[in-house]
Amino acid sequence: MFRANRWLARVRDVRDTGAPPPLNVDGPTWAVDIGDDYDMPADVDASFRTVRKVAVGHFAVFLGVVVGVPVLTLTVDWWSGGRLVGGMSPSFVMAAFGLYVFFFALAVAAATLSNGVEERMLGAQEREPVDPGDDS
Amino acid sequence: MTAASVIALAVLLLAVTVLALVLRPGRASTLEFYLAGRRVGVATNACAICGDYFSAASFLGVAAAVYVSGLDGIWYATGFAAGFVPVLLFVAAPLRRFGEFSIPDFLGRRLGSDRIRLIAVCVVQLIILSYLVPQAVGSGITWELLVGHGVLGLTPYATGVVLSTVAITALVVLGGMRGTTWTQAVQFLLLLSAFVWLTVVVIASGFSYPDAVAELDSEPLANPVVAGGEWGLATEPNRLESGSDATFGEPGGRYGPFGQLTLMVTLVMGTAGLPHIMNRYFTSPTGTAARMTTVWVLGFAGLFYTLAVLLGTASRSLIATSVEGRPWLADLTVDGVLRVPEHAPLVLGRIFGGEAGLGFIATGALIAVMSTIAGLLLAAAASWGHDVYERHINPRASQRQAVWAGRGAVIVVAVFSSALALGLRPDSLTALFPSIVATMVTWAFALAGSALAPVFILAIWWRKTTSRGAGAGMITGAVTAIGMFTSATVTGDEGVGEVLLAPTIVAAPVATLVTVVVSLRTPTPKDLDRLWLRLHGTAADRRAARLARLTIAGVNGDRS
Repeated sequence: MFRANRWLARVRDVRDTGAPPPLNVDGPTWAVDIGDDYDMPADVDASFRTVRKVAVGHFAVFLGVVVGVPVLTLTVDWWSGGRLVGGMSPSFVMAAFGLYVFFFALAVAAATLSNGVEERMLGAQEREPVDPGDDS
Repeated sequence: MTAASVIALAVLLLAVTVLALVLRPGRASTLEFYLAGRRVGVATNACAICGDYFSAASFLGVAAAVYVSGLDGIWYATGFAAGFVPVLLFVAAPLRRFGEFSIPDFLGRRLGSDRIRLIAVCVVQLIILSYLVPQAVGSGITWELLVGHGVLGLTPYATGVVLSTVAITALVVLGGMRGTTWTQAVQFLLLLSAFVWLTVVVIASGFSYPDAVAELDSEPLANPVVAGGEWGLATEPNRLESGSDATFGEPGGRYGPFGQLTLMVTLVMGTAGLPHIMNRYFTSPTGTAARMTTVWVLGFAGLFYTLAVLLGTASRSLIATSVEGRPWLADLTVDGVLRVPEHAPLVLGRIFGGEAGLGFIATGALIAVMSTIAGLLLAAAASWGHDVYERHINPRASQRQAVWAGRGAVIVVAVFSSALALGLRPDSLTALFPSIVATMVTWAFALAGSALAPVFILAIWWRKTTSRGAGAGMITGAVTAIGMFTSATVTGDEGVGEVLLAPTIVAAPVATLVTVVVSLRTPTPKDLDRLWLRLHGTAADRRAARLARLTIAGVNGDRS
């Protein structure tokens, strides 16, 4: 119990300071693997450019919709004058409900894609087995 | 106020005090005090961000803006929610991965300059103050309606301002970020439950949302004004069609051709520059967690604002028909329309839930104010205590000294903001703005979106951003935004005034342009490649994930 608490305290210190642990840790042997996490500059640059494309692309869609609503108000009579449900015009329905659904869907799509890009493009060296004979 | 209201308020204050005491930082460490040890999970942080973000402007102001302006008032809610989309796309993950304690700290480290850190501190303090004052005004308004009398010779409004500020200052000083995180998360759930309860009882009473819009749309929109010393109703002109009257369900009640767009741009850009919200991202364990936290926030925001808009509509529809037989309501209204629109959800609570209902909704309003004040005070503390005291005044300060500097900053900023709020009288400004609380918060968004957000996003995504460029951009954005506000007092809120009152659409591009031009003429930081790896790499995320797995494995192993 004491040993585990000491080890947990060390893990917390590493997490808080961001510093890798000393290699001669006297806890569980797998703790030395913590220092293996690193990124190659070329990989980060490639990932950065791809994530930037994802962000800019989704932002363009976001901007198109957000700007499109007032533009429709000024240009299409039906948008403000028509009635969809009771007294609610398409403009009212969009402002009161539709845009929130759109924002959430866009956020889910962008976050999923960005996370996927980073997972695939970064940290590949850690997924490769160090010892070809070791299939763990 | 009845015993039920008093008990509800007392229980709430006791609960958050206990939470703050139980969860207060055990160690005198700035990492604990400002960032809760960077261990706040996705759902908890999303709830805490919502508690932080959904201020009096969201709880009272959105319903009030819809109450006064109909469809045009909804754009406040839409803009408040939309602001998190750019945060998710451009800010959340890299900001957390870079680490640090605050926006000024991030900019100072990323751009390798102490001067930029100090410029950012000034801008951040201006934003915090612009945001704090309307929160204090909201608490004064709520107390005025809930209790109706003051203590220690103060007016009811002043009592609300002073008591809420004192209570939340004490909690922040005690609880730091960890206590504040949990109290904010619980406070958000209470806020949401207040809106859900009110929506359920309103709909259960037979209220039909679509039919109410149709009914309200059938007559011109009219609001109370004072003319010749007498209150009366004045019809709102349609700002999109001159010569015609505005109606509830159609655009034109508040904004002309550009007003809606300028407001949206201001609110969307402003969110990414709000110090109390951005500081919360530093508490996430990883960049990916920060990104996913924002997805949750957008879900919560959609639900919350949908209900706020519904309640604004219900207030407009139901309060007018409820005056008869309710003398207390007659005192608050002019021909069935509320004089102070921020009273809308509170009055609705009293109509459907009696004194207990008023107590519940008023408690929600006070919670909204308190949780946002808490976040703002913590951001102020991080800015003064960490960015100024630790970095410049006493770089050799012990952790204990630094934490006490932060606590001192909390008290000073709280006193200053409540003093400013006491100098305001909200009912005297109601004729000028659709909702004074929401409008004042918009000024904070405008300043954040004009001065901080452009520089912030460029520093994250454009390698060539330099400290001199960022400094010039921040100063330009702030001066342009403040100058445009000031000009709006002369021009009024129509025509060009629409742009002047929500100036980010002009000020942000100008700030961006200045940042780019100056950056191209000045040298970038020397260790840019290392900074870029830290900002956009995921090694720290993977390490944190691996540590979490090892921790779980270690704990399980210990148990077995």
